[in-house]
Amino acid sequence: MHETAIAMSIVETVLTEAEKQQAVSVQSIDIEIGELTFLGTDQIAFWVKTNFENTIAANAALNFIQVKAEVSCDACGYRGGLSITEDPAYHMQLPVFACPHCGRGTITIIKGKDAFIRTIHIEKE
Amino acid sequence: MKTIKTANGRSIEIALDKSLYNKNEAIASINRRLLEEHGIKAVDILGSIGSGKTTITGCMAEILGKKKAVAALAGDITTTIDADRIREKGAEVLQINTDGGCHLDANMVKNALPMFDLEQLDILLIENVGNLICPGGYPVGAQQRMVVVSTTEGPYMIVKHPYIFKDASVVAINKIDLAAAMEVDLAQLKADALTIKPDIRVVFTNGRTGEGISELIAALGLTD
Repeated sequence: MHETAIAMSIVETVLTEAEKQQAVSVQSIDIEIGELTFLGTDQIAFWVKTNFENTIAANAALNFIQVKAEVSCDACGYRGGLSITEDPAYHMQLPVFACPHCGRGTITIIKGKDAFIRTIHIEKE
Repeated sequence: MKTIKTANGRSIEIALDKSLYNKNEAIASINRRLLEEHGIKAVDILGSIGSGKTTITGCMAEILGKKKAVAALAGDITTTIDADRIREKGAEVLQINTDGGCHLDANMVKNALPMFDLEQLDILLIENVGNLICPGGYPVGAQQRMVVVSTTEGPYMIVKHPYIFKDASVVAINKIDLAAAMEVDLAQLKADALTIKPDIRVVFTNGRTGEGISELIAALGLTD
């Protein structure tokens, strides 16, 4: 349940910032989630809201922004999305961790591995 | 910072752009540097509960221990069972109990590293908590990652958890002696791993007999 660790980090960051700004309420939080983090937004929302109860962020709206994975290839210079293999045997799509252009494994994941608190909206008196 | 006047006061937008993972990444980099300064090769060993991580770690420690100074970190939710099993194979072992945590993180490993004599150490095997999802986002500072999957987990373990393989260089397909009984096709499991990560090195192992462990050690480049 890696969502709890991420949720607690969001709660702590938002409440610390809101206190620093002497906010009276937190209205909304924009959270960016990378595709490769495998984080479930429903679970994050549940844990964040639970821990915001009885705080100035109790009514904060959580806006999740999903970010697709992006890689760069050291061998051929490709930069872009990962390729996805559709396997009819499994009726599912598999990400392929190799360069979609030259096929080599010399890729660096440049997007989609991280999660961010991008912006928060607070209200001050 | 953008400020908008509202009926009750001021609404302010604050751009935080705070990564929720970079604290772990930063500590993992410190660990990696410390290990490299001491010439220590470290492997983060991932796999489901019951895949055979501890048995394989013990087998590797036993073989590697004949020529090198090997230590292990055993990550677990509770108990010292895993650490005791690896210690029987002759390696120095430290247990990290996560108290319910579903993965090791870089900070836990950072706190554990000073407990070893790093000057003397050649190889550190880090057995992560049994889980194919959560540890994926938490590098601990090891130079390599290995995933252990076993035939008793059924035929779909690899395709159902593709993201755990993104940073792995080696996959051990374990309990090959039980493949027929489990009606698991070993060639298909290997093909699944290579579909997801074409340059991953696949080794078939049997932790009970030690079959494939030398090949696994070679695939991880731990023989030099």
